[in-house]
Amino acid sequence: MKTKLLLVLTLLVTAQASAHHSNAMFERERTIELVGQVEEFQFTNPHTWIQVNVADENGDLVEWSIEWGSPNQLGRQGIRPSTFPPGKDVVIKTRPMVDGSPGGLFVGARFSDGETIGRW
Amino acid sequence: MKTAILHRTLLILLGGSLFWQPVLAQDTPDWSGVWGMQGGTIFDQATRTGEGGSTTPGVREHPPYNEEFEAIYLANLALRDAGVFPDPNSYCGIPTGFPRLMNLPDVYEFAVTDKQVWIISENGPNIMRIYTDGRTQPPADDLWPTHTGSSVGHWEGDTLVFETLSLHSSEGGTTIIDRTGLQLSDAARIVTRMGINADGQMQAQMTIEDAKALTAPWVVTKQYRKLPEGTRVFDYACNENNRNPIDPNTGWTYTIGPDGQIMDINPGQ
Repeated sequence: MKTKLLLVLTLLVTAQASAHHSNAMFERERTIELVGQVEEFQFTNPHTWIQVNVADENGDLVEWSIEWGSPNQLGRQGIRPSTFPPGKDVVIKTRPMVDGSPGGLFVGARFSDGETIGRW
Repeated sequence: MKTAILHRTLLILLGGSLFWQPVLAQDTPDWSGVWGMQGGTIFDQATRTGEGGSTTPGVREHPPYNEEFEAIYLANLALRDAGVFPDPNSYCGIPTGFPRLMNLPDVYEFAVTDKQVWIISENGPNIMRIYTDGRTQPPADDLWPTHTGSSVGHWEGDTLVFETLSLHSSEGGTTIIDRTGLQLSDAARIVTRMGINADGQMQAQMTIEDAKALTAPWVVTKQYRKLPEGTRVFDYACNENNRNPIDPNTGWTYTIGPDGQIMDINPGQ
């Protein structure tokens, strides 16, 4: 039930999330999945950021920056600063940056207990 | 639906400014609560491409620009399509101004008092003051351009009618109406009729005249849905953690990484 609620809410959010700036730095069509641990959830204006540590092909940890909607919009729709607790295992679905930098636009997330957020 | 608020009869002529006039007592409508704009953050449906695009009715077609402003707008649209239109709102520093102030994401409050109406947008944040105390527009020498201009209005039943003058020109691209690069000149005069329509939505119909930019009046209508009771409104500090600086020369939006440094490459460089 919670998953369905968050899904609907996130669809609403993503429709408005591009209000602050262009999204030309993100790939339009391609989505990737990142497996890692939450480093920090920056619940700040004008956009929130999910920082996630992800192992690269050599096993070295790389901190990815995943951009999401404003805390105001998300907060009204059920998202909280505690939604992404530091240290928690997570799979993030994201539209990656076009130049290959470790960043992307948030699409969805799934925790190890099966809870999902956004489009999954 | 009315509140119990009554306008006092203003005896401004006894001690106030020369251009104020008395206002008779009248009821004012209940515009309380929190409202969300419908239809996306663009005025011009014809420019919709998905990003920031509108999905519901409520806005009109392409503005009736003259040749000069049409060329400016088409150039801005080309930049927008390339993702490099330098939208002043993305710089986190300049007030949004009117009429773009009516065209924002996040939420609104419309505060009716007996002498002014305040349009408060969470995004920005911005506040626009509309004087309904019987004054007329100030003399020309007192009308220097500002972001929200000078707005004087009156009530026609439950409809607020106000005129806005003295807005900043869009010259130099510092003021735009929406993210597609719509612009007006410093000659813009906007008459807005605002009230709750039969569907219970707040509706603001703006008739925009601009002798320097438009060949005919341009009518734009925006609508706002009342959000559930108890909806909260928050701070909006755009510079709190803005990790997307804009290159002023190319319009490219960069991304700042966790080390505080720009991490991506502008593909146009």
